[in-house]
Amino acid sequence: MVEPASKPSVLDVPAKIGALGEIAAFVLRLAGRAGLGKQATYRIRLAVDELATNIIMHGYRGGCGRITVRGRSGPGGVRIVLEDTAPPFDPVEGCLPPATGVPPQRRRVGGLGIHLALTSVDEYSYARMDGRNTSTLTVKAEGTDPCPPRP
Amino acid sequence: MPLSVTLSIEGDTTVIELEGELDAKTAPDFHQTIEKAAGHGTSTVEIRMAGVGYMASAGLRSLVFAQQKVADHVTIKVVGAIEPVSRTIRTAGLDRSIQLSDD
Repeated sequence: MVEPASKPSVLDVPAKIGALGEIAAFVLRLAGRAGLGKQATYRIRLAVDELATNIIMHGYRGGCGRITVRGRSGPGGVRIVLEDTAPPFDPVEGCLPPATGVPPQRRRVGGLGIHLALTSVDEYSYARMDGRNTSTLTVKAEGTDPCPPRP
Repeated sequence: MPLSVTLSIEGDTTVIELEGELDAKTAPDFHQTIEKAAGHGTSTVEIRMAGVGYMASAGLRSLVFAQQKVADHVTIKVVGAIEPVSRTIRTAGLDRSIQLSDD
């Protein structure tokens, strides 16, 4: 478990495609603070980006809404909590493995973003509480990149 | 970070060069260029991605779109993608129909 020591950082943005850059910058800052390696940083960014994109495009269906991103970082890694008030949606149930047997011309790409998100993180959980979808994503610092030599 | 997209023809190859980040915000620019590239009718479409530091599933959707737009005999190549980007392409199984190469 990651028990990051820092106070949580919070970002609250409109659920618009234009806000993805701000969300990415927020996540990258936390990853930097935690000292995550390149690969772990890429993975947490990809996961948050995919889930946020899904909330914007499918959760709120392009309508008005907001996304709250809370993050904590520490030596153990980064934990991000995404919250929205769109209709209930559990990404684990919406996760489709890629249909690699289907020719690309007939391939359905929807759901692949969630698959990428959930396979990029070390821990994931979903809850519906007080009318909010809450996704908690953790990427650990240890074991995600080549380890430093042991003393 | 924005995406820069350039389109050129080299012999019988249409070259799309991407630089920047390919996500839900920037993928529409790539999409438009694919439409143009498909109209060129060359036998190969080469997508140079060495300058792409990040790609989300929106980029995969663009690659599938490219396959759907070009004629059956056209080869699509993705060249120079960094490791996490090529891993994303492989995760989606697109490496079965798109040639991935380092250079």
